[in-house]
Amino acid sequence: MYKLEVSHLTKIFGKRQKQALEMVQEAKNKTEILEKTGATVGVYDVNFQVKAGEIFVIMGLSGSGKSTLIRLLNRLIDPTSGDIFIDGQDVAKMNEEELREVRRHKINMVFQNFGLFPHRTILENTEFGLEVRGVEQEERTRLAEQALENSGLLAFKDQYPDQLSGGMQQRVGLARALANNPDILLMDEAFSALDPLIRREMQDELLDLQAEQERTIIFITHDLNEALRIGDRIAIMADGQIMQIGTGEEILTNPANDFVREFVEDVDRSKVLTAQNIMTSPLTTNIDIDGPTVALNRMKKEEVSMLLAVDRKRHLKGSLTAEAARDARKQHLALAEVIDKNVRKIDPDTLITDIFPLIYDSPAPMAVVNKEDKLIGVIIKGRVIEALANTNDAEE
Amino acid sequence: MNILQQPIPLAQWVEGFTNWLTSTFSGLFGFLQALGNAIMNGITETLLFIPPLLFIALLSLLAYIVSKRKWGLTILTFLGLLFVYNQGLWENLMNTITLVIVSSIVSIVIGIPLGIWMAKSNRMEALIKPLLDFMQTMPAFVYLIPAVAFFGIGMVPGVFASVIFALPPTVRFTNLAIRQIPTELIEASDSFGGTNRQKLFKVELPLAKNTILAGVNQTIMLALSMVVTASMIGAPGLGRGVLSALQHADIGAGFVSGVSLVILAIIIDRFTQNLNQDQVAKSPVTSKDKKKRRLVWLAVIAAFLLAFIGKELQKNQEAQKEKVNLAYVEWDSEVASTNVVAEVLKEMGYKVTITPLDNAVMWKSVANGEADAMVSAWLPTTHASQYKEYQDKIVDLGPNLEGVRVGLVTPDYTSAKSIADLSNQAKKTITGIEPGAGVMKAADETLKAYPNLQDWKLSSSSTGAMTIALEQAIKNKEDIVITGWSPHWMFSKYKLKYLEDPKGSMGGKEAIHTISRKNLDKDLPKVYKLLDKFKWSQKDMEEVMLKINEGASPENAAKEWIQKHKKEVDNWKK
Repeated sequence: MYKLEVSHLTKIFGKRQKQALEMVQEAKNKTEILEKTGATVGVYDVNFQVKAGEIFVIMGLSGSGKSTLIRLLNRLIDPTSGDIFIDGQDVAKMNEEELREVRRHKINMVFQNFGLFPHRTILENTEFGLEVRGVEQEERTRLAEQALENSGLLAFKDQYPDQLSGGMQQRVGLARALANNPDILLMDEAFSALDPLIRREMQDELLDLQAEQERTIIFITHDLNEALRIGDRIAIMADGQIMQIGTGEEILTNPANDFVREFVEDVDRSKVLTAQNIMTSPLTTNIDIDGPTVALNRMKKEEVSMLLAVDRKRHLKGSLTAEAARDARKQHLALAEVIDKNVRKIDPDTLITDIFPLIYDSPAPMAVVNKEDKLIGVIIKGRVIEALANTNDAEE
Repeated sequence: MNILQQPIPLAQWVEGFTNWLTSTFSGLFGFLQALGNAIMNGITETLLFIPPLLFIALLSLLAYIVSKRKWGLTILTFLGLLFVYNQGLWENLMNTITLVIVSSIVSIVIGIPLGIWMAKSNRMEALIKPLLDFMQTMPAFVYLIPAVAFFGIGMVPGVFASVIFALPPTVRFTNLAIRQIPTELIEASDSFGGTNRQKLFKVELPLAKNTILAGVNQTIMLALSMVVTASMIGAPGLGRGVLSALQHADIGAGFVSGVSLVILAIIIDRFTQNLNQDQVAKSPVTSKDKKKRRLVWLAVIAAFLLAFIGKELQKNQEAQKEKVNLAYVEWDSEVASTNVVAEVLKEMGYKVTITPLDNAVMWKSVANGEADAMVSAWLPTTHASQYKEYQDKIVDLGPNLEGVRVGLVTPDYTSAKSIADLSNQAKKTITGIEPGAGVMKAADETLKAYPNLQDWKLSSSSTGAMTIALEQAIKNKEDIVITGWSPHWMFSKYKLKYLEDPKGSMGGKEAIHTISRKNLDKDLPKVYKLLDKFKWSQKDMEEVMLKINEGASPENAAKEWIQKHKKEVDNWKK
């Protein structure tokens, strides 16, 4: 038996829903339906099953209905039709009392903007689920402190949410859900409001947690990389309908339709690719200002062993290796004296196919410079190979 | 087409509906009135039992605690209240505080649940919003009319009118505050299986608290602003001082009462705002702080209870005095006579309250037994319409002062001798007094009766404003026609004359009558007897009036007159 099973789930907002439903069946698009009937199709005929202990990721652009879908699962939004089975019980048909029991014991949620109560301390926030369940004060404090301990936030238990950073707040949001020990965890774009570094940390933490506890997690995101990192299986949504469900590999290698194909690449294959399309932002050091220590520091932070050297006006001057910087530090030289001026420069409009042969004999990454000799990007081997592989696939 | 010529009888419908309400729910209204009066008298007497200087010290201490040791509010509280006490307005201040407290509490008790209901239901919001707009834009005076019909005169109708007027901000802010809570927090509460009740008390109200309190602050301010208006229907307090100053054109007294109201408003405003600043400083509220706050509240409540018990004990020691309630209009003549009668009754050992009211309300209050009696009925012409309306609900004890008259009055330099001679003097305007006064009705009839007054206007204002206008006109040697009556001090101050009235529309010779409620002779036979005997002359009255006009308080002027005329007064008591 599946932990969670969703069949023919539909949600339409607004009036004249019948007419809207007919139009969806005729495969009319959302805008057309809205103009005609004034009804919005949130989710249409969604079916999927999730096994216990699986991380099931739902992806889609904004407006694809993914947030509506996750709220249908715990009935924050009532479905228009369809069924949601949790452990074989149909949540969609439950009365308020039964639904409340399910929400208290089986299914909890983590929110995009953390959903913490600003008037309660971290501890009071964490024990909220236990409090509404009517757990004794002592017991719920114990459980909440345990959950905070696990996420390393026990020291902050008497603070208020707005005294914490975003990452900490989201850990509290997670701890609040976990303190309840639910079978199913719903995560609605839980990491989208965090900055990329913290986001990656949180993803790792979630994976560690999952390795330990094996909960069923429904995870919503609009970020493909995030989905690929943590999802056991991924469902891609558009216009309220699921386009494809599969593992990351399946979706990348075998997209079900054009929409998915376009979605999983961030480059448009119909265009002939040039350097501009595949360059990434360069990691630079400013030789007019930085000294060798600053440069080394940046390499350490960015986890690279080479930087491009520019002057104050972003004109490309050369490249700087870690060894050269270290020498400069030892001998008290300026960076300008140790940089390697021999850097391959490329025009932004160079075709990939022309770049490919150059890559093999270029020691440093290739710099993309514009007409004024200003650095605008950098080409990395991996990107070129990936791009070429994709174009070849398309030709087959 | 008929509809354009025939006015829709909206006034009659409203009248009918109000009458139906009054008769159907008279039991409920009576109960509420008795209960409200008991509660409010209890509060006022308790506040008055605390010696003023001690009270001022306590409030200053409270201000010091509430404002977290800032001296500004403390000093303002101390000096402001001391000023009010110094001006002899302490009792008025306590009455006003009672009125504001009770109005605010009733508004909050009704308003917050209503606001919550509104926030939870869009249909409810659509229904209540226009109603709130209506409540806030309707002139507050309008609420006084049904208030009198339902609850008679005094504090209770004042509270009723204040509540209608002051309720909207609390309802609006509560609704707004709850609707403004981020959806995510509401979802969070729901997603953990919180019941609606848990959501309300654990999430919504705590988060909405500050905004709701801002609304409550507005409500308190509005209730305070209604104090002046409500004094027209007998609500005691500082408003009465403002109103009577307006009617006597007494700038100084009006200003003093006004400033006292401002002081009270600022103190209340700062108190409520300071109580609202818990969460602003984002340091966790420790249990120690909570304990402190609880202690302060306990101390306040304990002090009040102590005072209440003290008051009750004192009451028991005092012989239970019988109460007499006299109504009057703020005309100089009636202020004089009512105060004299009141002082005599006090000497006889009664507890007398005198309530200044608008003329029409005064008649009504005697007719329905709210007030025991009045000595201010001008008959047969001036108050003819009121007499006709209430004659079978009242007892006419006959005249207490003969030979008064009303008429159109001009300065003696005006050429016209008779009403029929008026053509285009004084911008074709008759300067009148309060629109509800009897003399105004008579003047209206006069405009209709004399063909030469076809295009004249009758402009209403107040007794005080009319005397000021008269003074100005005489200074500038301009023509002015006023609705006058005697006895009045203006005849001794300026050279004036009555215009002859060949058609008799302004009424001929009149007398001021004493009117009592039904059954007063059975309930308070001694009072009834005194009122029956009470009779004096124009000269007597003008003696008292002049004293008051020279700056004596009405009470003292009355006492002085009684001292001087012992014989006469003893005759009344026989």
